Amino acid sequence: MISYNTTALDNRHIQDEAESARDKACITPEELAAIKEAYPSDLYSPNMYIRFGIFILTLIIVLFSFGILCLTQIDNGSETGFGVICLFCGIVTYVIGEVMVKEKRHYKSGADAALIWSSGGFILSGFMIITEVEAHPLVYCLLTLLLASWFVLRFADVSMTIVMHGALLASIFSLLIDTGTAGKVIIPFAVMIVSLAVYLLALKLSRTHACRHYTNCLDMWQCLALLTLYAGGNYFIVRELSIEMFNLDLQPGQDIAGGWIFWVLTIALPLVYIGLGIRKKNRILIGIGLILIAAMVYTIRYYHSIAPLEVAMTLGGIGMIAVAYGLIRYLKVARHGFTADSSDERHTMEAVQIESLIIAQTMSQAATPPADQYNFGGGTGGGGGASGEY
Amino acid sequence: MDHKLFEQLQKEGIISAESAEKVRVISANRLFSVHWELKTILYLGVLLLSGGLGILVYKNIDTIGHQAILAAIALGCMGCFYYAYRHKLPFSREKVPAPNTLFDYILLLGCLLLITFITYLQVQYTVFGTRYGMATFIPMIVLFCTAYYFDHLGVLSMAITNLAAWMGVSVTPLHLLSQNDFSSFPLIYSGMLLGVLLIAAAWLSDHKHFKAHFAFTYSNFGVHVFMIATLAAMIATLRYGYALWFLLLAGAGAFFMQQAMKKQSFYFVFIVTLYVYIGLSLLIVRWMSEVVDDTIGALFAGFLYFVTSGISFIVLLVKMNKKLKKA
Repeated sequence: MISYNTTALDNRHIQDEAESARDKACITPEELAAIKEAYPSDLYSPNMYIRFGIFILTLIIVLFSFGILCLTQIDNGSETGFGVICLFCGIVTYVIGEVMVKEKRHYKSGADAALIWSSGGFILSGFMIITEVEAHPLVYCLLTLLLASWFVLRFADVSMTIVMHGALLASIFSLLIDTGTAGKVIIPFAVMIVSLAVYLLALKLSRTHACRHYTNCLDMWQCLALLTLYAGGNYFIVRELSIEMFNLDLQPGQDIAGGWIFWVLTIALPLVYIGLGIRKKNRILIGIGLILIAAMVYTIRYYHSIAPLEVAMTLGGIGMIAVAYGLIRYLKVARHGFTADSSDERHTMEAVQIESLIIAQTMSQAATPPADQYNFGGGTGGGGGASGEY
Repeated sequence: MDHKLFEQLQKEGIISAESAEKVRVISANRLFSVHWELKTILYLGVLLLSGGLGILVYKNIDTIGHQAILAAIALGCMGCFYYAYRHKLPFSREKVPAPNTLFDYILLLGCLLLITFITYLQVQYTVFGTRYGMATFIPMIVLFCTAYYFDHLGVLSMAITNLAAWMGVSVTPLHLLSQNDFSSFPLIYSGMLLGVLLIAAAWLSDHKHFKAHFAFTYSNFGVHVFMIATLAAMIATLRYGYALWFLLLAGAGAFFMQQAMKKQSFYFVFIVTLYVYIGLSLLIVRWMSEVVDDTIGALFAGFLYFVTSGISFIVLLVKMNKKLKKA
C-alpha cells in the first residue's frame, strides 16, 4: 500500500540502526561503510530544517500556480467552474506527489507533505463549493476521513494521522448528534469506546512486521487515541460541550446527569495511564499521563477552587520539584529497569538549545510584575519600551 | 537497537562477531530512561513556583505578610545559589557539564527568585532610583555573570532577553513580531544594533574560545533580530529607500550564509534563506505595485514571480543541503 519503495525503506532503517550502533561504539566505521554498501538506499530525505523550508516553498508554488489558473478563468467564472478548478488542482497535486515519490525518490522531503496537504485541501474545498456546503456534515467528515486515511496509507504521513483521527471522531459525532436525546447521551461513551478500540488496534499494529513503515504514524495514533479517550470522559469537556452544543440549561454549580461517572474518569484515567505506562515501560502512556495530570488539576480547580491561584501555583511548584528530586535520588542507581540518566546522548545538545529557548520564552515573564507598577516614564525612558517587557 | 538485525548482519559476514556481541550486550542491558520526563517535571515545577511567588509578592504588597514572603524568597534564592555554588564543577573556558540533573533547575530557580527580589525592591523602595533602565540593567548583569560562571544556556537566553529589553526590544521568541512596534525607526535601529552586538558576541565566543558553545544562542537571537529589523525597515521606508535596505539584507544574508556553511548548520541555512526570500518578495511586490498600472497583468506577473522564485529557492536549498552533507 505504501507509495515508497519498501526495500529502500528497509535499507534506510538498517542504515539508521547501524549509525546508532556506531555512535555507541558497537561497530567500527569500516563496518558501517560496509553495511551502507550492502544495503543502499537512494531515498532523498534532507535535514529537518531543509525539509521545512522545502515544505513552505512548495506550498507557495502550489498556491500561486492555483492563483494563475484562477486568473485565466476569471472572465467566464461560475462557482461550479471554480469548484472544478479546485478538484482538478487536487488531482494534479496528488499525481505530482506520487511522481515525486516514485521517480525522484523523495521521502519525507517536505515536498511530499506539502503536495498531499494541498491535494486534500483542494479536493475537499472543491467538493464543498460544488455541493454549496449544503450536504449533511457527515458527508464532509467521511470524505475527509477517506482522503486522510488514503494519504496515511500511501505516504505514512504523521500529520495526516491527526486529520484522520479527528475526522473519524467527527464522523461519529455528527452521526450521533442527529439521533435525538439518546444519541447525545451516548456521545461521550461512543468517543471513549472508539478511542479505546483505536488505541488497542494501533498498539497491536505497531508490533506487526507488515506495519513497520508506519511506526511513527501508529505512535501518533496511540497518543491521539489516549488523549481523546480522556477527553470523552473529562468532566469539564463533557459539561461545557453539553452546554455549548446541546443548549443544555445549567446553572453554575448545577451538576450534569451522571456527573460522578465523569469525575471518576477525570481523576482516575491519568493515574491509570501512568500506572500502566510504568508497568509496561511504555513511554507514550507515561508521557500522555503526565500531560493529563495537568488537565485533571485544571478541571478540578475550575469547579472547586481550593486555594487562590498563586498559592496553588507555589505549592504545586514545590510539590513537583520535590517529586522530581525524590525520583532522581531514588533512581541514582537504576532500579526496576528505570534510570534517570539520558539514554541518547546524540540529540542532547540540540535538545538543550531548544530548552534554552523555551526558558527564554516562558521564564522572562514569570518574574515580571504588571507593567503599570513601575513603568514611571510612561515607557519612554528605556529607549522605546514599546513592548511591556523588561 | 535491534540485536536480531545485527545478528543477521553478522551471518552475512558484514560485521564481526565481536561487534554483534557488543550490540547484544548493550540492548540486553538497556534501561528505560525517564530523564526527559523528570526534566520536564522539574522545569514545570520551577516555572510554577517562581510564577506563584511572583504573584504572591505583588498581591500582598500592602499587607504585613509581604515581608515574610520576601524573606522566604531571599532565603530560597540564597539557598539555590548556595546549592549551585557547592555542587558546581570548577570554572573553565570550555563547556562545563552540569554535575547533575537537578543543578540546572536549582540555578534557574535561584535566578528567577533573584529577579523577583530585585524588582520588588525597586518597586517598593526604588532602590535603584527612578531610572527605569536600571531596573532591567541590574538583573541583566547578574544573569550574564551567572550564565558564564555556572555555564547555563537557559540563564544566558534570559540574560539576552533582558539585554534586549534594556535596549527597548522584545526578543522573547513568540513575542518578537507581536510585541514590537516595527514601524518606528528608533526601534528598528536598536534592533539592528542589538543584532550586530549579539552576532559580534557569537563571533568572539567562537574565536577567543571563551564558552564557544554559547555562540549558537547568541547568533540565533542575533540573526533573527537583525533580519526582522531590516525587513521592518524595508516596510517602513517610504519611496525607493527600501531597495537600499534590501541590499543590506542581502549582504547580511550572504555573510550569515557563509558562516552557516562554515559551521555546517542546517538551521541557519534554512532561516537565512527564508529571510532573504521574504525580503526579495517584498522588494518585487512593492516595486510592481508602484510601477505597473495594469492590475490583471500585475497579478499575473506577481504570481509567476512566486512560482518561479519558489522553484529556484527550492533548488538553492537542495544544493546547500548537498554541499553541507558532503562537508
